[in-house]
Amino acid sequence: LILHGKIAALLLYRHSTNAEEVLTMDASRLYKSSNELAHDLYTIPSYTSWFSWQSIHEVERLSLREFFDCSSITRTPRIYKEYRDYIITSYRQDPTRRLSFSDIRKSLVGDISVLHKVFTFLEKWGLINFDPSNAETPAAIHAPAEEDKEDEKWRIRVEEGTPHGVRVVAAPHSLKPLAPVPSPVITGHRGAGKGRGGGTVDNIPKFSPMASYLDVYGELVGQQKEESVVCLSCKELCASGHYEYSKDASSNLCEKCFTSGNYDKNKFADEFKPIDGANPKVNWTEAETLLLLESVLKHGDDWDLVTQNVKTKSKLDCISKLIQLPFGDLMLGSIHKKFNFLDKNREVRGVNQAQPAISESRETLGNQSHEQNQERQQNGNAECETPPLKKIRRAPVSEDSSFLMKQVAHISGAVGPHIAASAAEAAVTALCYENQCSTDIFDGDDNGLVSIADFSETERTSQVVGAEGEEKHVRSETEVEASQRNSISLTLRTRAATATAIGAAAAHAKLLANQEEREIEYLVSTLVEAQVKKLKRKMKHVEALNLMMEKQHGQMKDLEESLVTERMDILQKIFSSGVSRWRDHASVKSQSSTSSI
Amino acid sequence: MMKPPSTSGSPKNPVKFRLPTAENLVPIRLDIEIDGKKFKDAFTWNASDPDSEVFAFARRTVKDLKLPTAFAFQIAQSIQSQLLEFRSYEGKDMHTGEKVVPIKLDLRVNQTIIKDQILWDMNNFEGDPEEFARTFCEDMKIEDPEVGPAIAIAIREQLYEIAKQGVAFMRESRTNKKGRKGMEHLSASKVGSPALDLGKLFDPEGSIQRKMSERDAYGPVVDHLSKEEVDALEAREERLPR
Repeated sequence: LILHGKIAALLLYRHSTNAEEVLTMDASRLYKSSNELAHDLYTIPSYTSWFSWQSIHEVERLSLREFFDCSSITRTPRIYKEYRDYIITSYRQDPTRRLSFSDIRKSLVGDISVLHKVFTFLEKWGLINFDPSNAETPAAIHAPAEEDKEDEKWRIRVEEGTPHGVRVVAAPHSLKPLAPVPSPVITGHRGAGKGRGGGTVDNIPKFSPMASYLDVYGELVGQQKEESVVCLSCKELCASGHYEYSKDASSNLCEKCFTSGNYDKNKFADEFKPIDGANPKVNWTEAETLLLLESVLKHGDDWDLVTQNVKTKSKLDCISKLIQLPFGDLMLGSIHKKFNFLDKNREVRGVNQAQPAISESRETLGNQSHEQNQERQQNGNAECETPPLKKIRRAPVSEDSSFLMKQVAHISGAVGPHIAASAAEAAVTALCYENQCSTDIFDGDDNGLVSIADFSETERTSQVVGAEGEEKHVRSETEVEASQRNSISLTLRTRAATATAIGAAAAHAKLLANQEEREIEYLVSTLVEAQVKKLKRKMKHVEALNLMMEKQHGQMKDLEESLVTERMDILQKIFSSGVSRWRDHASVKSQSSTSSI
Repeated sequence: MMKPPSTSGSPKNPVKFRLPTAENLVPIRLDIEIDGKKFKDAFTWNASDPDSEVFAFARRTVKDLKLPTAFAFQIAQSIQSQLLEFRSYEGKDMHTGEKVVPIKLDLRVNQTIIKDQILWDMNNFEGDPEEFARTFCEDMKIEDPEVGPAIAIAIREQLYEIAKQGVAFMRESRTNKKGRKGMEHLSASKVGSPALDLGKLFDPEGSIQRKMSERDAYGPVVDHLSKEEVDALEAREERLPR
């Protein structure tokens, strides 16, 4: 089953060299006489991986029972195998041509119906007439379990979550993709730009895992989506709001023309539906959102009732709004706190730049902006004047990929270059999964794979080191890389960059988590140590006390002995003096004294 | 050679009469002439359909083809009699033996001429002439929609013929004294169809691949005639009725 899934995800290509993807058929047995075709690769569908020249599989036994129930000498397993082998062999003599039943029945002896059954069986399982490039799902295959596999086969696999290769996991041992990260990089990074590292950390988690795409890119998307509505009567853009004619969505009126009654006579005022603002679906007030949530809680997904409650919004608006809403803590706060992601980023940068306020870093900063300008010119951007750094950062993502590259460079600059490299590689791999042609593009130059990471590294170097000799080298390197990237198509680059950024961010988050974990571990261990010390001290005390006790005990015994001898002396003195009157009294006394001891 | 246990219709273990196909369809051929008007047709009829359908079908055909109403009765009667004949065999024992029979196809449908030869196992009751005909037309890229059914019917007619012989053979062997030596051998020729020597065909040492010399006979030949050729052929057939 694993094998099935694996192969299924990829279309099978003839003569592909990847042994895992293509089931290799040893054709030598077929071509005993003709050696030139001794070994060749043939493509069969993944669901037919059971096939073997040497044996007859259970699938064959079940589908073609008549050969295996000993009902006739004309239908035996041996004859089946010969039929099968002959048909497949004749197909493989020229797999580009479609083998027809009429072609093979000419040269096979046997009942036509049985032959036909074998033929259709082989065709159904793709052992003959299988064309991977034009593969349609063959007619229903009887075994129900097969159907799932087939579904899987033609489904486009979409990778979800962090880019392929970057795994965010709890156990630090399974962090394979990030394993080769050398620790000096992290420590160096922390030492060099503490404010910067902190800033990035603050920046990213603000958008919680539940934050939707719209929350992050909402502004940018909104700007693009904002269709320009042209008024029907005055032919001007309806800036503030417009009225849509309910019978024909394309005829719109601007507010001014509507109020002045400036439209066709055969249309009525109540047939126009007011659509306020340029972006009606985003314009939800907090009260409305609250009302929506309340009524959703009350009525569930009965949207008619919900809409009745909300009143000011249509059913569709309500649904789309609810879909857009990220849940959790962010649900209520998001409306107010929705900052521009990019603005924030800029702020962070400002902090970064303020912190290492040394002349050296300013120099490198100037160098950096110079680099950026250079890159913009290379990209042939329409803006002729060289805008200040901040303005570049505000440019929309989709329009200027060099800006995006900067973003990526920035994010990946927060992590070590090795992490960024692996993230970039992972992103490219993920893209290659989706698109075959991208492989060619990225395979074109191996440098392209790591160029993103390299770029960030060079930027970092220029920021941190800022040595004169290296600056020139760095600049030339970035130029080369920029031209390399320009050869890759814009969208692909954009996507690769985005994926890299996300990957880098994920990796960075993981690193921070690791750090945190280590800190916690350290604290716990110190705590335990302190406790142990405390216990040891107590033990010492107890031992000392024990010693004292023993000493006292010994003293007591000595005292007791001396007391007994004393008493004996006194008693003997009394006996010798012959006073019998005191006898009883003395014995009582001696008894009480022993008991007291 | 070990003979596997056979469930086929040997005299000791006979099967009931049946065409060696999955569906029990009766090939029906109509050739009716009334007052110089001719009606020819061939189709299959499901033996288990009720007879009332026959009359409905006849009426419908006459109406659709705008034939004189007299045809309706004739058509119904012809179908009825052919069905009756088929049913008279049903329930009777049939000898099939270990028999694979060659079916020869040699027919003309409109402008298409088809010559072919196939083998049919009389013990395989899952055969499907219609399916074969469909594949045939697909492979040979025959577009005329009448060709497929014609092939299927031609196969069915021959199978029907051989099945009838199987029943006749069974009856004969019952009337003869039991255990007569070599009876099966003798009667094999009586059955008429040139049954193939299976032992030789499916020899474990031999190959199931056909000899090169035989391949041409078993390969499909499709020819397309021009309009004139068809007319000439039909005129000749008129003069020499079969």
